[in-house]
Amino acid sequence: MTTRAEFLGSIKREMAKTRGLFDARPVPRPPHAGEAFEAVKRQMAERWPQALERFREEFERIAGVFHRVGSMDEVPGVIRRIAEERQARSVLSWHPAPLGLDLRESLGREGFAVTVAPHGAPDVAARQLHRDEAARAEIGVTGVNWALAETGTLVLVSGQGRPRSTSLLPATHVAVFDRSCLLESLEQVGIVLEALHADPARSMSGAVINFITGPSRTADIELTLTRGVHGPKEVHAIFVEGR
Amino acid sequence: MSDAQLRTPFPERAHSALNDAHLQEALTIATTKFIGLRKEAFAGYPDGEALRDRARAIKESTLQGLDTHLERLADNIERLGGHVHWAATGDEARDIILRLCRDRGVRMAVKSKSMATEEIELNEALEAAGVKPVETDLGEYIIQLAHEKPSHIIAPAIHKTKGQVADLFSKELGGRFEADPEVLTAVARKELRQKFLEADMGITGANFAVAETGTIVLVTNEGNGRMVTSLPRIHVAVMGMEKVIPTMTDLMVFLAILARSATGQKLSSYTTLVRGPRQPGEVEGPEELHLILMDNGRTRQIAGTLREALYCLRCGACLNVCPVYRQIGGHAYGYTYPGPIGILLTAMLKGTGSVKDLAHASSLCGACKDVCPVRIDIPRMLIELREHIDRERVAPWAERMVFGLARRAMASPSLFRLGAKIGRVAQVPFVRDGRLRGLPLLFGKWTRTRDLPPVAARSFSERWKELERP
Repeated sequence: MTTRAEFLGSIKREMAKTRGLFDARPVPRPPHAGEAFEAVKRQMAERWPQALERFREEFERIAGVFHRVGSMDEVPGVIRRIAEERQARSVLSWHPAPLGLDLRESLGREGFAVTVAPHGAPDVAARQLHRDEAARAEIGVTGVNWALAETGTLVLVSGQGRPRSTSLLPATHVAVFDRSCLLESLEQVGIVLEALHADPARSMSGAVINFITGPSRTADIELTLTRGVHGPKEVHAIFVEGR
Repeated sequence: MSDAQLRTPFPERAHSALNDAHLQEALTIATTKFIGLRKEAFAGYPDGEALRDRARAIKESTLQGLDTHLERLADNIERLGGHVHWAATGDEARDIILRLCRDRGVRMAVKSKSMATEEIELNEALEAAGVKPVETDLGEYIIQLAHEKPSHIIAPAIHKTKGQVADLFSKELGGRFEADPEVLTAVARKELRQKFLEADMGITGANFAVAETGTIVLVTNEGNGRMVTSLPRIHVAVMGMEKVIPTMTDLMVFLAILARSATGQKLSSYTTLVRGPRQPGEVEGPEELHLILMDNGRTRQIAGTLREALYCLRCGACLNVCPVYRQIGGHAYGYTYPGPIGILLTAMLKGTGSVKDLAHASSLCGACKDVCPVRIDIPRMLIELREHIDRERVAPWAERMVFGLARRAMASPSLFRLGAKIGRVAQVPFVRDGRLRGLPLLFGKWTRTRDLPPVAARSFSERWKELERP
């Protein structure tokens, strides 16, 4: 069994032989992550309309389906249409607290089988139940932490009431976002992630951050592009104008 | 690659690849497509070139402080509730995983595509220990069913036709499936979905690990990486130690160029940042997270001639442009890592003796260096490798003797002139249509596939002297 000390010791011994190498500079990073984050937010408060346009363009290029509604009240209607077109009956959504929407009150009353992710500290039984529901659901509805314009990417942070599999197991993923989510570049994402890390109060509770750029895809058989190999076949993004 | 296959010498392996018409066609189509996609991606991305320079600088600066970054990574993984294991060799990495399987009663492990686990031939070891490994990347799944090895770093099954895949699925999974990628993908989805839900352990590699935050980063297109890290109760990541990077800012630089280099995408469909096992309040995620940091010959090269190969991101771009890879494909190389970078990585992991033939499987044209996202100088290292192979007497004696004589002749003007005179006379029986063809003995292999210009009737210096005359 190699110990940490032995492993690192042998690296140090070899590194000692390389003195005199040119001095490689690491990439400059924001000295004050929190301030840089605030600056990004101020920029995006002005530039979000352009970012939204770019997001839409890139998202559609990678086969995403973009929707735009005036307010949160219109979101269930969009999801209903998506479900009906696909003859889907079962909908799984993030918990209403992080999502800002309780689909049980709308779609649930219209005959759809709506389940929502548990909030609070789930026990073993709750976890198993959720897993079964997630595996069965045809449509998964999530919020979005950031929408990255440059690449048409949805960034989702897992956490309480925000399971990671809602955007993975159902064949159709529907993500709901607003202007406060919009970012322009990967560089800005880097600033945001640095800031989250630097400030434990801002830090998210969950273990996983997923960058989702279009549907699940493969080209492993004769380089033929095929969607929905393991994850969703379709990804929809609903932009909500009002807060 | 099995020992039996490796006992076939490289020239024969290459030769049979060249005679495989179907493989030739598949290779041409695939590599040409990848080259086009990459070119397009960078053409539309003016920042790309500067980002490649930055990425290279990050790799070098990280390597200069590798011990510190690894310590920080380990501390942060542990702080988040994960476990870190240190594996000096591939054997040790395998043993760690087998012990975890034994201790925790693991019967089935689902895997997402990982060159690191190919490197340590983990699947064979798991099977021998009674654990069923299931590859879940579609390409890897196909070749696992076919009992083959990947032929390309990012497209492991490019050597198979849809007809072959349909036959394979029909035979192995029971049923009759149409030779349609859409149908076959749906079959794999259904089959593997069940495996994701049943498996006890998920095994992945790591594209990067961010030291400062303790984050393991996986880049996939299919979503299997997400499944494998979310559904089973244990997640094990096997990572070559050189994959550590310092910060999230650095990660963004690599993400911006990795997918563009590999598949021409701006980003792959899924980039998954894993920090620790399931956190309090989460309904999903593994109970345990294990990161295995693997050396397996890498440390030896920190101060070695192959140092720069430690920058490699495993994007596969150098394979697609390599005139040798494009002709012979991945299997002929005979080891886990094919292509130009593969020769260097094989030398790193298995010693220079293992690449005495492969070191010459390059035209040194430099296309690999041009497309490498971190601008690894592969041709320079190949030349150094060849020199090393010669110096250490790894090369065959006849080859060394010929080159030894050539060096002497080149270094002495009188010997050189004498050699040219002898050559002019000796070549006569072998010159046809103004070219040297069909040389005898030792040299026969050289002229079997190419011809040479004959030694000129008058040498350059003789002609120069005439010109100097007033």
